[in-house]
Amino acid sequence: MKHPRDPAAPGRVAAALLALVILWPLAVVGEFRPWILFEAQNLRVMGGFLAAFLPPASGSEFLAYLGRATLETLAIASAGMALAFVLAVPLAMATTQALSISRLGPGAGRRRGEWLRAALRMLLVVLRGLPELVWALLFVRVFGLGPAAGVLALGLTYGGMLAKVYAEILESGDSRPARALLEAGGSRLQALCYGLLPGAAQELTSYTVYRWECAVRASVVMGFVGAGGLGQLMDQSMRMLNGGEAASILLTFLLLVLAADALSGLLRRQLGDGAARAGALAVGPRALAWLLLLGSALLASYVWLDLGLAALLSRAALASMADYFRAFFPLDLSSGWLAKVAWGSLETVAISALGTLLAALAGLLLALPASGRYGQGLEQLTRFLLNALRSVPELVWATLMALAAGLGPFAGILALALHTSGVLGRLFAEALQNAPPRPRDALLEAGAPSAAAFLYGTLPEVSAQLIAYSLYRWEMNIRMAAILGFVGAGGLGQLLYVELSLFHYAQASTVIAAMLVLSVAVDAGSAWLRRWLAAPGA
Amino acid sequence: MFRLHDVGLTHGNGFVALRGVAMAVQAGEQLAIVGPSGAGKTTLLRLIGAALRPSRGSIDLHGDDPWTLSAAELRRLRARIGVAHQAPPLPLRQRVVTAVLAGRLGQWPWWKGIASLAYPVDIVGARAALARLDLGERIFDRCDRLSGGQLQRVGIARVLYQQAQLVLADEPVSALDPALALHTVQVLSSDAAARGATLVASLHAVDLALSCFPRIVGMRDGRIAFDRPVAEVDETLLSALYATEGGGLPLLAGEPATPALPLAAGGPRRGTCWR
Repeated sequence: MKHPRDPAAPGRVAAALLALVILWPLAVVGEFRPWILFEAQNLRVMGGFLAAFLPPASGSEFLAYLGRATLETLAIASAGMALAFVLAVPLAMATTQALSISRLGPGAGRRRGEWLRAALRMLLVVLRGLPELVWALLFVRVFGLGPAAGVLALGLTYGGMLAKVYAEILESGDSRPARALLEAGGSRLQALCYGLLPGAAQELTSYTVYRWECAVRASVVMGFVGAGGLGQLMDQSMRMLNGGEAASILLTFLLLVLAADALSGLLRRQLGDGAARAGALAVGPRALAWLLLLGSALLASYVWLDLGLAALLSRAALASMADYFRAFFPLDLSSGWLAKVAWGSLETVAISALGTLLAALAGLLLALPASGRYGQGLEQLTRFLLNALRSVPELVWATLMALAAGLGPFAGILALALHTSGVLGRLFAEALQNAPPRPRDALLEAGAPSAAAFLYGTLPEVSAQLIAYSLYRWEMNIRMAAILGFVGAGGLGQLLYVELSLFHYAQASTVIAAMLVLSVAVDAGSAWLRRWLAAPGA
Repeated sequence: MFRLHDVGLTHGNGFVALRGVAMAVQAGEQLAIVGPSGAGKTTLLRLIGAALRPSRGSIDLHGDDPWTLSAAELRRLRARIGVAHQAPPLPLRQRVVTAVLAGRLGQWPWWKGIASLAYPVDIVGARAALARLDLGERIFDRCDRLSGGQLQRVGIARVLYQQAQLVLADEPVSALDPALALHTVQVLSSDAAARGATLVASLHAVDLALSCFPRIVGMRDGRIAFDRPVAEVDETLLSALYATEGGGLPLLAGEPATPALPLAAGGPRRGTCWR
């Protein structure tokens, strides 16, 4: 063999061609035109807006508004979580295999039990398959502008998520104690409290706290569809191009998200410590204090928000609600509308794919200084930049980018890329810091330039992890891309927003169905991809 | 080639790894460093390779003190030094061909390093280096499919491919069986001899050192215990060097029963790898 060839080369060429064949149409669908950013008119609008950022607005009247909105945001998150918890506990108990009585034996009513569980699981898929902002958009039309729609939307979506994860956590532990209690004639609640909770309580609480942190981030943007909180204030400031106010609100986002991050981390660490030194008491004085604090915070949230829940449950309100939801059926399945929805779905996929790809590239570039390769000063600076990027929600980035690049899917791509590069940059930096240093050091000691030492010594060690992170993020971004259209950034969201504004409910429900299908397909697809990546020999 | 003047190294935690080490090595020389574990062999090699800065004394490498050079000059100097490590520092997901070609990253222009990631730029060269260690067939395998001994030889193939003027080998054959260890050291030695390069190897197996290297340096407790031509190294000297190890000298076969292989009178010619 005089000239051996690289056997991997044909595969690489094919993969590169395939990537091109897929990315090119996506770029066309996503209207990927970066030069638009540098057109004189867009530069002028954005430049004027950014110039007004300094100084941030600090009038006492505005600050009072800002404080109220911040409290409202926290209250929406907490009240929404409480509602979600109340929904999730019975649903989780009903759907988890670990508490099934009819499976014992199997006893009578086994078939019926299975059907019921399947139906409830479908309900959960619908609840969490639609982004909370879509629920909020729907509820605002029933309950009017204000926090009630936000609380309900969070409650439903997060209720679905919590129920699914609770059920999974209960199933993943040792189910024999609960089974023994059920076989001895105990009720489901007794089996839960005496058989399952002792083993699973810590994980359940930890996940709930993490979800609360997510709820804070979600409730920040609820206002963009009129459901109260900071988002509503931001929406107004952006519409009026008031840069100073926008700057103050963005700073508040940053503080709020970082504080929620820190508090949730602290609570979860404490949980770990508490479990390590578990005493004889099931509920220690410390835990009791936390519970009291939590309870009063929730009570305060409901009082503060003044949701008027009683009025919502009146016969007249319920009837009008039923009328409203009945208007969504039957779905508009005419071929013309289906084609439009299909195009919107394609646009959504394009936005998420290109946005995530850009974010992965930018995240890697930012992760290099953030992992401390170029000294402490740059490390701290980039870490701050990454935190700032990820603490501004995608929807807020989308409104900003709609100014910079005009309405349309390209603004959505940029928005996803900005937020996600903050998230991925942080994860990538951690991966780089944890990579074994010796291959790179050995190359440096053999005189390799530092860039080459990184490419040959560090990147091969972390590339699989970086790809896994990016794929996971892409999965989340497809859901996010579906709602960026609410602020004019293309995709299914734009269709839904427009149709709802025109009271075209049948058309809107087709779009909602498409969102559900997309969400379920992404779930299945990513699960398959993960199995494939984890399989040996892949 | 290089010269150490009264070199000492104290680690940050106060541990003294080397003290008062002085030695001079001419271009094209080949020498082995032997001594019990913890004697400072690896540290000495890292100092010679300009990977570690001495806390006392000075080093003269190719006519310069590496620690007074500019960053670019130091990089050029390091590109001429090749190191074979005991535990090969290769990313497990990298392919063998890429791992070997990485040996010349210090000599290539930057674009060549990037181009080679897309398509290996010198398959013939990498294959030739691997073939000398009987690994030519594994060139396109990923490193995680290789055994520990094969991986160690890939690390040596990288040094062969680098064509360094100064080759430092830190226990380069510790994961190989005796026959393969001998063959591998022979390859390193004959490659250096053919190119007129200098070879410094630390070896655990005393018989291998005695049979392949004309000059032997014994180290103990961070000092040079002796530094002699191989003909002047006798069993008394070695027994003193390994006094506390117990169970005789560490040999290639790992069995003290082998009757002091290269030390016996009338055995194979010493210091030439039985060539």
